[in-house]
Amino acid sequence: MDIKKLAKDFWYGKPHTAEEGGRRLGDIQMPKTGLYYHREWRGVKDTFYYFHNIWMYNYVHMVMDIVKFGNPINFLKGTWRYRWMGQSYLPVIHWFDRGLAGLRGEALRASALHYRAMVSAALTQITRMFDADVRLNGGKKNDTYMHTIAMKETTWGGMVYPWSDKFQYVPVEMIPYFVTCHVNSHTVHNYIDAVQSIGLPADPCPMCQAESGLFVLNDFPECSPMFITCNEACDGSVGTAVLQDWFFDKPLYALTMPMLFDDPLVKENCMKDIEGCWKFIEEQTGVPFNWDLLVECIERQNKIQEFEWEKWEVAASPKGNYPINGVAQALYRIFSSQYGDLPIWHETDKKVRPILEKCVAKDIKTFPQTTHRVLAWSCAPLYYSNWCTWAYNCWGLNVVINMDSLMFNMTIRTDSYEHCLEDIAVYHMWAPMRRMAVGGMHHIFECWEYMEKFNCDMVAMYDQLACKGMQGVHGMFEDEFRKRDIKAFWMPHALPDSRIVSRAEIRRLINDYMTTVMHEEPLDPSLLEIDDDMTW
Amino acid sequence: MKCLKKVVGIGAVAYAALFAVFFFDLDGKLLFNVVEPFLVKHYDEMERPDVLKTAYDMNKYPKYDA
Repeated sequence: MDIKKLAKDFWYGKPHTAEEGGRRLGDIQMPKTGLYYHREWRGVKDTFYYFHNIWMYNYVHMVMDIVKFGNPINFLKGTWRYRWMGQSYLPVIHWFDRGLAGLRGEALRASALHYRAMVSAALTQITRMFDADVRLNGGKKNDTYMHTIAMKETTWGGMVYPWSDKFQYVPVEMIPYFVTCHVNSHTVHNYIDAVQSIGLPADPCPMCQAESGLFVLNDFPECSPMFITCNEACDGSVGTAVLQDWFFDKPLYALTMPMLFDDPLVKENCMKDIEGCWKFIEEQTGVPFNWDLLVECIERQNKIQEFEWEKWEVAASPKGNYPINGVAQALYRIFSSQYGDLPIWHETDKKVRPILEKCVAKDIKTFPQTTHRVLAWSCAPLYYSNWCTWAYNCWGLNVVINMDSLMFNMTIRTDSYEHCLEDIAVYHMWAPMRRMAVGGMHHIFECWEYMEKFNCDMVAMYDQLACKGMQGVHGMFEDEFRKRDIKAFWMPHALPDSRIVSRAEIRRLINDYMTTVMHEEPLDPSLLEIDDDMTW
Repeated sequence: MKCLKKVVGIGAVAYAALFAVFFFDLDGKLLFNVVEPFLVKHYDEMERPDVLKTAYDMNKYPKYDA
């Protein structure tokens, strides 16, 4: 027994690679469930950081947020009433564990802060939905109900900035559908099956299916007197909106989102449509449009974008000082850019800045075992958004940036109403899964430009099997990869539905690519094959 | 002094217990094996209305008092 090595492993944690004696992260996971025999020992400093500042801190703050943002009794009633709440949000700390596995030092700290922000932002919405919910409040349409504006999750929250002093926006499916898939992938199956049970064929986009299924199972809070919907990501969402209009049964404004948005005439039309939406809100609420409030909120949102650009600058540098891992980067960015301004984004950015600056100043290699810098392109599997954590731990594949982060790459001008409206229209049209997924070849192929900007040498190409848009350009990507001699692997998935392509299958495809094409050895062989079929 | 020792002792035991819950993933095991199956059973047994019987009404505008 090597006492010196044991003491070193205890103090610093075991080294990453098999060559150095390896930490073998696969060995601490229990078969099937993905639960841990024991959580990872990351060395004294990082284990106790995780225990105090992540595990304990987040459990405590989850309770504090519920008390701060809403009524705890309503929260309990909501947990009992809604499957997506009870089944999904209890294992939230396990979601941290999966996303932050293997991280050390500054990368652990910065990535965990992003996770914490997402939990807080989710609780802002959950408590609002429950406090406004007619079902949980004795059948009464209370004041909170009357001051809540429901919108489809893919409609940017900034649309209601001019009313944000009196009204709160709730993206209808963001919590019951989108966030649940990441935390507990089983919940969403109920909603997909529900909509198929009333006759929908199984081949449309499972996102649209799940969003509709929520209403088929009557599992969405009755929390707003109106509804603003849109046709994002595609015509599948138009179908969702039709069913929602039927089952939700509210005054509805269908805010269109043009597919090919580069045409100036299309933009002009979109600007008129946004004004139509604002008029609808004015008519419904009786409260006039507030230009000053819009400017105030947009300027705050612009600050978030400006810091994001600073982060990207560090991420793009080949020096490897960026302290945010692939999954934290992707989810935080899509959540904040889609939901819009919230105090928690600013608080988080304030805490992340010194970490970022420290990493740059001290040239800290945050992901020291990086073998390839990866750009993840197209739409990711929601049930396995933490695949990039696994990929780094197993193969050293460091997902530096992803498509979802890059979509809203702009600030919005506030110097005049016309400029502001024009930029809002662009932001609206660059919606998730639109700009670079079904927004035309020019945007889809921005992949090459960003690969260069972020100094990436590999592409992880998501292949959403039920997305007719992206399936149509599969061959063109293959051609371009060959022509440009780019190392790329495909990752088939069905967005939220883990039953179509399992996590194990995704890992097998990456393993195959890394061994047969790249001829590389895994850093941690215990992670090559893990049986986590039943895991959250 | 005796009281302080007692408080420190209780605190130390509570801290060690919490660390054991954390390290051995006892929270995850409890949620996966007990809490989730209980809740899932409850949600599965919940009566739900047949939404297909919802009338497709239009132009129902509520009154607002902002």
